[in-house]
Amino acid sequence: MKTCPRCESKKTETVSQSPVKGAWEVYLCPVCMFTWRSSEPESITNPEKYNKAFKVDPQDIPHAAKVPPVPEKRA
Amino acid sequence: MAYRDFRDFLKTLENEGQLLNINEEVMPEPDLGSAARAISNLGDKTPALLFNRINGYHNARIAMNVIGSWPNHALMMGLPKNTPLKEQFFEFAKRYGQFPVPVQREETAPFQEVEITDDINLFDILPLFRLNQSDGGFYIDKAVVVSCDVEDPDHFGKQNVGIYRLQVKGKDRLGIQPVPQHDIAIHLRQAEERGENLKVAIALGNEPVITTVAATPLLYDQSEYEMAGAIQGEPYKIVKAKDTDLDLPWGAEVVLEGEIIAGEREFEGPFGEFTGHYSGGRSMPIIKINRVCHRKNPIFEYLYLGMPWTEIDYMMGLNTCVPLYQQLKEAFPNEIVAVNAMYTHGLLAIISTKSRYGGFAKAVGMRALTTPHGLGYCKMVIVVDEDVDPFNLPQVMWALSTKMHAKHDAVIIPDLSVLPLDPGSEPAGITHKMILDATTPTAPETRGHYSQPLDSPLETEKWEKILKVMLNK
Ligand SMILES: [Zn+2]
Repeated sequence: MKTCPRCESKKTETVSQSPVKGAWEVYLCPVCMFTWRSSEPESITNPEKYNKAFKVDPQDIPHAAKVPPVPEKRA
Repeated sequence: MAYRDFRDFLKTLENEGQLLNINEEVMPEPDLGSAARAISNLGDKTPALLFNRINGYHNARIAMNVIGSWPNHALMMGLPKNTPLKEQFFEFAKRYGQFPVPVQREETAPFQEVEITDDINLFDILPLFRLNQSDGGFYIDKAVVVSCDVEDPDHFGKQNVGIYRLQVKGKDRLGIQPVPQHDIAIHLRQAEERGENLKVAIALGNEPVITTVAATPLLYDQSEYEMAGAIQGEPYKIVKAKDTDLDLPWGAEVVLEGEIIAGEREFEGPFGEFTGHYSGGRSMPIIKINRVCHRKNPIFEYLYLGMPWTEIDYMMGLNTCVPLYQQLKEAFPNEIVAVNAMYTHGLLAIISTKSRYGGFAKAVGMRALTTPHGLGYCKMVIVVDEDVDPFNLPQVMWALSTKMHAKHDAVIIPDLSVLPLDPGSEPAGITHKMILDATTPTAPETRGHYSQPLDSPLETEKWEKILKVMLNK
């Protein structure tokens, strides 16, 4: 299991393996939906080197604005 | 002259020297995004890129920058590749006027060759990759998304074909960004008010005319397929989706069918946008994919977008100018000369017009703000005289620098609507807008010293022709 480089959740899953065996794997974080490939530069894959301006705090996620807002159901 | 499909257009680009095959192996990241950014940095006549060997894949091929230059845009319309920009504008406007051209319906399509309904995994089916460094995931960014009006499902014109950013967020899940000013937001609202999912069909790898039209701000009840017929000069070929009554481009490489889940929103982005800034960190709707169809060995297509100019600016340049031009002409048929709204999808627009009397140019600017596209864009409108070519920016700068008086000619209208992606809007979606009147004052407005405009020496036009011939020898 990998740590999400963006929100540092430990719940990430492997969603794909390269068709050519052993080249790379793709991981998905179900908390912040970040997706990355094992072969990407360290500035993407390493939680400590991930660009701080783009880090996500999981506690902020439920407060994100809904775009578009969900309309009232009509009777 | 119509292109049969995506491959047919790629073949034409290759024959015209407007396609570069990249046969060396490249990494999905950072090579694909980097190369596509780089090609846009190299001018406005660049070729499309076709990547034939991508690390980790057996035979995936990815095309980028397909409409990313003026020669490729001209070829999209079947014109000679060296057709000047202003000529492309007037030709596009002429064909736009042929709308509607009825569609040609087909029973079967090449994309029906391979069909997947069980254990769909988009990460395995599509060669996905990160485009810009801080994108929150892998995006499909040049597919057309088809949906229909829920209240009036049989109205062909109200069926919408649009391009929306799609984040791949699970094996069979996409995030979609329906900007409120765009038509799919109307369909989604109708469906959610009923508590129903909105059916969608998504086509990837299309010939370039439907892509161009899908990125054109048409009126709500105008059919993109009937406009594509007008632009290509013959009926556009469509075929029905399997799970719905939605119509798809016949030549698509890959088709995804699914539905936007009513009432659901999920964290999305960020994604580097055409504004040259990232946007994201909001919760957006989710599409569940139920069926995937594709050709054998499909060719995939993506576009690079970032700080202008990039492919997206060519893709939504002239096709943004023309609807504004037509709608302004409806109001002022004898005055409007040309419209250049190519900057950041028309956030800035330049209008060339005759002035009937003092104050007229400002009225033209106000009208631009109230066109359908102006409601979400046209944050700055520059109005110039009829003899200033709005596509010739040095001429526009000349008009601004000599015809404008800030006291009289800068008009600011507070708190108007704009698309929320505008990074300057505050709150997102609200901004002041500005009209800069750079036309010559006309009576009864008599200020300034404009009575002695400089005219060219008598034989200038003749000499222009002579010299052009000599230079081309
Ligand atoms: Zn995460």
